[in-house]
Amino acid sequence: MARRRASYRVGIDVGGTFTDFVLLRPDGTLRIAKSPTTPKDQAEGILQGLAAIASEEGMPLAEFLTRVERIVHGTTVADNTMIEMNGAVTGLITSAGHRDEIELRRGFKEDIWDPALPPPPAIAPRRRRIGVAERLDYEGNVLVPLDEDDVRRALRRLRALGTESLAVVFLFSFVNPQHEQRVREIAAEECPDMAVWLSHEVLPAAPEFERTSTTLVNAYVGPRIENYLVGLGRALDELGYRGKLLVMQSNGGMMPVPYVLRRPVTLLSSGPTGGVIGACQVARLAGLQDFICADMGGTSYDVCLVRGAEPEIKAGWNWHHRYLIALPMVQVQSIGAGGGSLARVVGGTLQVGPQSAGADPGPICYGRGGTVVTVTDANLFLGYLGAESFCGGRMRLQPEGVAEALGEQVARPLGLSIEEAAHGIYRLVNANMANAIRRISAQRGIDPRGLTLVSFGGNGPVHATAQARELGIRQVFVPRLAPAFSALGLLMADQLVDEIRSYIVRTDEADLSRIRALFAEMEEAALRVLENGTARRFERRRFLHMCYPGQTFDIAVPVVGRGTELSEREYRATVERFHDLHEALHTYAVRDERPILRALRLSAVGVIEKPRFAELARTRSSPKPKGRRRAFFGGGFRSVPVFDGASLGHGQRIEGPGIIEEAFTTVVLQPGDRCRVDHWGNYWIEVGS
Amino acid sequence: MTKRTLALRRVVQRRPRAVAERRRAKAARAAIDPVTAEIIRGAMETICYEMATHVSLTATTPILNQSNERNATILDARGSLAALSVGIPQFMLSSTLPVRFALEFFGPDGLYDGDVLVANDPYHGGGHLPDYNVFAPVFHQGEMVLIASIQCHHADTGGAMPGGYNVDARDIWAEGVRFPAVKVYERGQERRDVIYMMKVNNRTPTFLGDLRAQIGAAQLGVRRLKEVLQRYGTKTVRAAVEYMIDYAARRFREEVSRWPDGVYESDVYVDHDPKGNPDIHIHCKVTIQGSDLTIDFTGSDMRDNLQAYSTFGNTRGYVVAQLASIMDPTIPKNEGFFNSIRLIVPPGCCLNPPPDRSVAAGTHHPGTEVGEAIAKALEQVIPERCCPQIYKMGMPTVIFGKNPKTGQLFIDHSVDTFASYCGAVYGQDGWGAMNVSFGNLIRATAEINESIFPVRHWSRDYATDTGGPGRWRGCPGSLYVKEICAPAQVYTYVVGRKYPVPGIAGGKPGAPNRLIVRAGGPHAFEVETTAFYVEHQPGERYEYRYGGGGGWGDPLERDPAKVLEDVLDEYVSVEGARRDYGVVLRGSLEDLSLAVDWEATEALRAQLRAARA
Repeated sequence: MARRRASYRVGIDVGGTFTDFVLLRPDGTLRIAKSPTTPKDQAEGILQGLAAIASEEGMPLAEFLTRVERIVHGTTVADNTMIEMNGAVTGLITSAGHRDEIELRRGFKEDIWDPALPPPPAIAPRRRRIGVAERLDYEGNVLVPLDEDDVRRALRRLRALGTESLAVVFLFSFVNPQHEQRVREIAAEECPDMAVWLSHEVLPAAPEFERTSTTLVNAYVGPRIENYLVGLGRALDELGYRGKLLVMQSNGGMMPVPYVLRRPVTLLSSGPTGGVIGACQVARLAGLQDFICADMGGTSYDVCLVRGAEPEIKAGWNWHHRYLIALPMVQVQSIGAGGGSLARVVGGTLQVGPQSAGADPGPICYGRGGTVVTVTDANLFLGYLGAESFCGGRMRLQPEGVAEALGEQVARPLGLSIEEAAHGIYRLVNANMANAIRRISAQRGIDPRGLTLVSFGGNGPVHATAQARELGIRQVFVPRLAPAFSALGLLMADQLVDEIRSYIVRTDEADLSRIRALFAEMEEAALRVLENGTARRFERRRFLHMCYPGQTFDIAVPVVGRGTELSEREYRATVERFHDLHEALHTYAVRDERPILRALRLSAVGVIEKPRFAELARTRSSPKPKGRRRAFFGGGFRSVPVFDGASLGHGQRIEGPGIIEEAFTTVVLQPGDRCRVDHWGNYWIEVGS
Repeated sequence: MTKRTLALRRVVQRRPRAVAERRRAKAARAAIDPVTAEIIRGAMETICYEMATHVSLTATTPILNQSNERNATILDARGSLAALSVGIPQFMLSSTLPVRFALEFFGPDGLYDGDVLVANDPYHGGGHLPDYNVFAPVFHQGEMVLIASIQCHHADTGGAMPGGYNVDARDIWAEGVRFPAVKVYERGQERRDVIYMMKVNNRTPTFLGDLRAQIGAAQLGVRRLKEVLQRYGTKTVRAAVEYMIDYAARRFREEVSRWPDGVYESDVYVDHDPKGNPDIHIHCKVTIQGSDLTIDFTGSDMRDNLQAYSTFGNTRGYVVAQLASIMDPTIPKNEGFFNSIRLIVPPGCCLNPPPDRSVAAGTHHPGTEVGEAIAKALEQVIPERCCPQIYKMGMPTVIFGKNPKTGQLFIDHSVDTFASYCGAVYGQDGWGAMNVSFGNLIRATAEINESIFPVRHWSRDYATDTGGPGRWRGCPGSLYVKEICAPAQVYTYVVGRKYPVPGIAGGKPGAPNRLIVRAGGPHAFEVETTAFYVEHQPGERYEYRYGGGGGWGDPLERDPAKVLEDVLDEYVSVEGARRDYGVVLRGSLEDLSLAVDWEATEALRAQLRAARA
């Protein structure tokens, strides 16, 4: 056997404008690189970026690739397919009488005030949704046998309609999958080229609308994702890459390509999860357990609540691109608030966002033809951003015209001075973001005041401490690699297999042997996948989803006990724990009530070895500003020191007001804020009152 | 009745005097900068959301935690609505009038920090008895500044019939227990006697849990609002409330002033009340004069023996919900919006009942027809904005019996998924399950209910040709078939057979409702008025052909290519295309060779137009 050479790992995160790369070198040091995203084929930009990194590392691409042991990739192909609605021609075969679930949507509509709200673009219009005679009851007994002639007729019809990808959704198929499986067999005979997706494999859980929607989206995006990932794999292979290609899923786990392709919908909305995983790992290293991580980029603000250094992963009412994806997902809430958010006066009040100027034309100060005031323009006017130092000096901001536009578009209509108007934009976008955090914590019954705000993304640290004040939060943490955090997160993600099985029964009537059998089945399925992986060790988490009779939203209760066989006593203790958790979350428990068991979930984690970061040397001296500039903090402009982030050392402290400029972001310290640099170069800010 | 309660049933909601309004607005503008006002508005809406979310998370009754039938509001110390988070727009207003009654009843010194009150009485500002309002004053520096309120629909409210929908009740007392305004907490202390009294007057075991969820939400609202007051001070918060109310009023009036002046009238009807009194009549007169909007229901049904009464609060809710759907969706819904409408509802008519009548049936009908009447009146002047935000449901069917699996009573309220009554609007065919106003009402499915109730959902597919034809087509209704697998009784009330959902601007009405009970057996029959306690044997089916939504505009103007698409999707049949749209199709649906015969279509449309004239 050849001697194991020290090897690289690469995290690649494709964003709307840039593809971010984080390279972890054998010595533990990191390199950040960016390359323009190539929207037609994201693989192109990836290969270009890799070539650039290789050359900076002093190697030809082929040699570099032989030294890379692992590439972890976050892709937006699934989301782009849903945004552009250019997925496969998709059809649906379902139980007779239930052809229209996807249009009925359990009655849900997104805007209760607007009768002209259009329907979501159809993935499978009604003509490509066909009911066939078959029916199971809720225990899986056959009420109506599958009519195979009906199935053949349906398949031929769908073929005639040009269907490329087929979703099969029968009622209660997650209890008894035989009818769905039989359709796959018949499809192999009738339409061998059609991709077939069975609902009990995509999401083996009730209820049918959620499963139908998830399976349809899966069928719609699946072929395009397969095309892309297989193509990327082949290209890398041809260049000599022999390492692993892993892909980030929306549940925060990274898995090999063949696994992901069994259920490609798990890539949908995986974009923000990389950042969350990165935040969790870095924050855990730094000793943080409970925090809010907030990623503010150019167009959106993504918030995730983290407890016990674990992001919340929840299955259920997750809407993306106007379809419901009921698979377990890292719970990230997005609002339209970013540097590019437009500020306008409508009917006498100021509105900031959700519309964005994007990257093109972008804010006025980008000088690319933008004419409407944005948050970034206000930040430049207020002195928070430096015209010369933006993006590490690679992009000069143009203050010309910004003050005039602020005056004309915001200050005059509101009867404010220009400074007040710019500061108003800053305050309002902060309030909007703070409200988003309040909403997400309300859903979990949590008071945000006791938490730390972990802020990243290009614009996050500009606003972080002002937002923290709004929320009564006392501490802000800005990781050193804040601007490329999503790509870093990819390198730190574990492997994760989520299995879920529906079993709806009153807890006192549940069949324990069935629960055991379902857990065993899930465990076997999960381990089969993980044992082929890159993980060092495995962790297994089992949950019983329970609720009180009549409740809609269930609580995932961690199973008491560690043994493989769930004992009677452990089962009872788990039910008891449900009452406790309910009380902790919702202030009351009904202990004489018998809860309903709704589902079983197994989450198997293959823990990978985490990179070790190089540490900074301790600096005793006080930090030296690289200059000063005038900035506005309410009241009036004043001169504040500006520091170069790269020059700061471990242990140095800065008191606000002040500004720290990093290559791809800026940290704004409000008056009263106190900032210190830790041994990894992260910023800890104590928020002034 | 006391003088105070009479004040709430006032005939005319007075138009605020424009001068006073402007003066107040000016003062508000002077006291606060627009950015701070906007920030406080956002904070209040977020607090409403937090209160509503608290109920969804903690209530145990599906209608609360699943259907989202709850509204959270923040009012000022005079009972003016400042901010809200809405479940169902039609019911959003029953939060304000009960609070105003309590303010009058207890007087300026009768409410304390730490109080929480409950109210549900339709004759003291409420909508109907199952809607419980729980509200709490918010004190800052010893002074009441705001009120946090949360309103929820409860599964039962005592009375003769389980479920709170006793549509054949002889009077309000037969419907359930009335709480005009009762303190359940005083100065932070729970009043155990009152809570216990409420508990024993309700038959559902989950009632207390739901009530506590609501109390918890109100207390949460109080805590959060106190933080806001702490931070900004009473003066600024008051100014911010004035500012938001003024802003909504200004935008409301701006919009009305763009509508052509004039008087526009409409007449709409409910098939019958639960007693069988036919043709309940609503007359609506809308007057637009500059930026003033008057809605007058004088001339509506005054018959003395009706079983169809919508209370003033309920009527007002439907007025506002319909107008909200017609106006720019971004105008905030607060007192400035509501107060800009001059509303006239004569006492004694079916929309403002004589004292103590039963209102269980009337909450829905003629309640919903209020919206229909406004849409039909305004279609004459701003047709492109009109889409009646209504339903023709009668009442939610109650199916109850003994569950053979558990041996316990089951009550299926039929809050299931199906399509019905969703109208088209200019530029958009009707789609989904219901009108957009009900988009927060999340309904159950086969896999949820079949695991709980002894029922089987055999069908809920759209039924072809049930959407009202129009240039834009109404959404089809569902063929909804539910087999009842245990001996059970069905209790319901059916309307919309004679008067289905209307079309707008020349659009045709949606298909009417048809309910067949005991279907699939020899005893099947169609329900004409009500089905009270109809016994079902196991295996018999409840088969509801839910009516469709109305169309918008002349169906002969619908693009034939769109009609072809509709036929391919089986929303419309080949015959329907010809009959309703004058579109002639060649080829067959079976082999997908269907195509528009443009020439024959032209000819047929010309012929149909000529026949009309």
